[in-house]
Amino acid sequence: MQLTINGQPHEVADDPSAFLLWVLRDELGMTGTKFGCGAGICGACTVHVDGVATRACVTPVAAVAGKEVRTIEGLATVAADGTITLHPVQQAFIDAQVPQCGWCMSGQIMTAAAFLSATPAAGEDEIVEAMATNYCRCGCYVRIKRAVINAAAQLATTNQEVTL
Amino acid sequence: MSESTEAPITQSPAKRRRWRISRRGFLIGAGVNGVGLALGYTYGLPALHLQMAAMLDTGEMARGGFDTTTPWSWFEVLEDSRIRVYVPKVEMGQGVHTAIAQVAAEELGIDWADLDVAQATTALGPVDGNGTAGSTSVSSTFTPIREIAATLREMLRAEAAKQLGQPATQLVIDGRGFAVDSDRAQRVDFFPLVANKTDWEVPETAPPLKVVADFQLIGQPLPRKDIPAKVTGQAIYGYDMRVEGMKYGAIARPPTIEAKLTAASAGDAAGRPGVHTVVIEEGFAGIVADSRANARAALAALQLTWDEGKPWQQEEIDTLVTVGQGDAVTIQSVGDASQFLSRDTTVRGEYRSPFAVQTPLEAQAALADVTPDGARLWVSTQMQSATRDTVAEAIGMDAELIEVIPTYLGGGFGRKAGFEVAVEAARLSKAAGVPVHVGWDRSEELRYGYFRPPTHHQLAATLSDSGQIDAFEHQQASGDVAFGFVPGFLAVIMGADFGATRGARVHYAIPNLQTVAHRIQLPVRTGWWRGLGLLANTFAIESFMDELAHTAQIDPLTFRLNHLGDDPRERRLRAVLEAVAEKAGWGGTLPEGHAHGLACCIDADTTVAQIAEVSLDQATGRVRVHQITAAMDCGLVVNPDGAAAQVEGNIMWGVGSTFIEELRVKDGRIDLNNFDTYPLLTMRDAPHVEVVLLEAGDGKPRGVGEPPIGPVGAAIGNAFFTLTGKRLRQLPFTPERVLAALG
Repeated sequence: MQLTINGQPHEVADDPSAFLLWVLRDELGMTGTKFGCGAGICGACTVHVDGVATRACVTPVAAVAGKEVRTIEGLATVAADGTITLHPVQQAFIDAQVPQCGWCMSGQIMTAAAFLSATPAAGEDEIVEAMATNYCRCGCYVRIKRAVINAAAQLATTNQEVTL
Repeated sequence: MSESTEAPITQSPAKRRRWRISRRGFLIGAGVNGVGLALGYTYGLPALHLQMAAMLDTGEMARGGFDTTTPWSWFEVLEDSRIRVYVPKVEMGQGVHTAIAQVAAEELGIDWADLDVAQATTALGPVDGNGTAGSTSVSSTFTPIREIAATLREMLRAEAAKQLGQPATQLVIDGRGFAVDSDRAQRVDFFPLVANKTDWEVPETAPPLKVVADFQLIGQPLPRKDIPAKVTGQAIYGYDMRVEGMKYGAIARPPTIEAKLTAASAGDAAGRPGVHTVVIEEGFAGIVADSRANARAALAALQLTWDEGKPWQQEEIDTLVTVGQGDAVTIQSVGDASQFLSRDTTVRGEYRSPFAVQTPLEAQAALADVTPDGARLWVSTQMQSATRDTVAEAIGMDAELIEVIPTYLGGGFGRKAGFEVAVEAARLSKAAGVPVHVGWDRSEELRYGYFRPPTHHQLAATLSDSGQIDAFEHQQASGDVAFGFVPGFLAVIMGADFGATRGARVHYAIPNLQTVAHRIQLPVRTGWWRGLGLLANTFAIESFMDELAHTAQIDPLTFRLNHLGDDPRERRLRAVLEAVAEKAGWGGTLPEGHAHGLACCIDADTTVAQIAEVSLDQATGRVRVHQITAAMDCGLVVNPDGAAAQVEGNIMWGVGSTFIEELRVKDGRIDLNNFDTYPLLTMRDAPHVEVVLLEAGDGKPRGVGEPPIGPVGAAIGNAFFTLTGKRLRQLPFTPERVLAALG
């Protein structure tokens, strides 16, 4: 079976019921996407499937065949000369010094990135509702919120510049 | 300031370094690659638990003697002339690698970006018998690492003086080397200084250390070295570890908390898809397979017979956890409280807290590669040395042949002070002859570790006419915390469980005072949890202080200040109380339907005071915490942003425990499945947090990772009382309990 992950084709074992999370982690060695609960509750395994935040731990690989899967490893953009530009959400998480243990952060960042892409003018309450789907056991919520609000502002500025 | 990151996971070279011992007890040897200079000395050697007991009381860790048999080092000069520090403490989100790097770079005098941080293993870098626990990582390493760094700097300076033909006093650190101060072109990098030299001498006297006023890195909110890798998916944790040829392991789990495996056979497990090896040993059955799913699926084919033991129910355990049951030890006694407490006017209060589970978001994980010649394990562990020794015993191998390599931890919180998963991976790897990774699933994480024990507290006090406390008594019953991990004879020597009684002593100046700890031995395994007994004990004491203040009709802040004297710690508690009151606007006007509550504690020699602002939905019984303002004096702050992050995280833990976290035993089982039955706090219910950091001003760092969890429950409960006139006495404050309290 072939999957498209971060724009690259990957051949994986033909087991359509295998969950995307374990194919990514154990078969392809892309361990940036984390296991938290295996039940779609905590959000640690969040990836994008055709741009939509998706829980990889409950998503069979068959469901993503022919679709674009994006993981934390592929969120930053790489220019032709190899220069890496972090996604504004990633940069905002660094700027606000958000992560503690970091285990939930791939999922937090992927959730925020998909949400802000779909809801560019999100207010604070909407951001809290969107991010309340992801657990952080270290309790970084004050900083996650600050970072996503900052990223939203950053994206709004960028979008405005593009429009102008 | 340039971005600064960490070295990837390291492991020791196959060949052990040779060391010689200097007169000051330093070890000198070549670097990891056989070149350069490595320098270290011992610290924190075992007598582990007794040391921890003393340390938790005083906030200081005893320094170990010089172990002249074990090779290890703190520093190494790399070939690009950067200096690497091997940190024996593990990074589990508390920012300790960055904090220790700040201390090291400060005393070395080099640029922040020129210091490389690497995780020490049991075979590489300093030996740390204490592990990473108890909010002591910075306070216990602060002085040793500065002394070693200063010594290294002076050794390099002396060699630079020789090579440059200049007096040492004329040399200054310039980038990655030394230069003549008046002529910077005359310079030599660090690596050429060490490349070919073997006859190092450690200075006879320790060089003087920098004074606080000269600190340039310590005290700065430097960005964490581990964060860039954590926002790009590059950071490697125990669950992420991979090596060539590895397989996956799954373990048969007991059906009940008392279950013993009495008979086991492989059944047809070996023929199940992907199965590599079926492992059946005394009391242990597991599968090694080519995938986690196949390993787990094959467990069902094993033929296992269990003696399930007693089908315990929660109500039976609640009855056990009662003051008066179990062995009682008086842990604090001032004056004679008993003569007062028989009076009719005695105020009494009773509080309870339940079982809870740490459930770090990265479940237990280890990769073991056991060969006949030795073993390597990559583990998410807070206790690398004890893990090595426990694995050695489990697989019958000399501990010297085993290297435990700590990875990043996806949360620790005391749960990764256990050894289960490392032992499981090692047993399976030994039996299968291949590297085996074992990663627990969420159900295993919720059911098969050890738990925060339930507690029961009875408090009593008498007040004078002027509203001063004449006598105060705290009777506390708790399941084991530390005693679950120490041998019985040690428990006898230690008297009370230092974990269960953490925070149980009363820090107010009261003329007649007694604290009694009742040890309750439970059928459920209980143990380490963030702050140990601190949250439960502070909940009880500080809620009761609030009751006394209201009984005396004195403002709760004033009442507390009235019971603080001139003892340095009492002065520091007073300072945080006053600071938090000012920051939160204590006594000022709040929005309609909001109320403030105050609580404080002393832990790991750090003082903390917090004010919670809450409101209540009368119809649903749902309490909302809008903000918690915290003031903390943890002495010298190495990284204020990191310290603030720890306060924020502790407060979220406290809020989760105050409203949600509780687990129950049913029919002999831990009645949990996944996060559906044990939900965690989310951003929706997370309060805003404001942090004020004070400093004791004596240049001494103190604990940060746990003290701020102490006051959270009491501050919220006290605010609820101010709002409603009702007292919440049992954690967590579920809507049902809130509605019941409201009547």
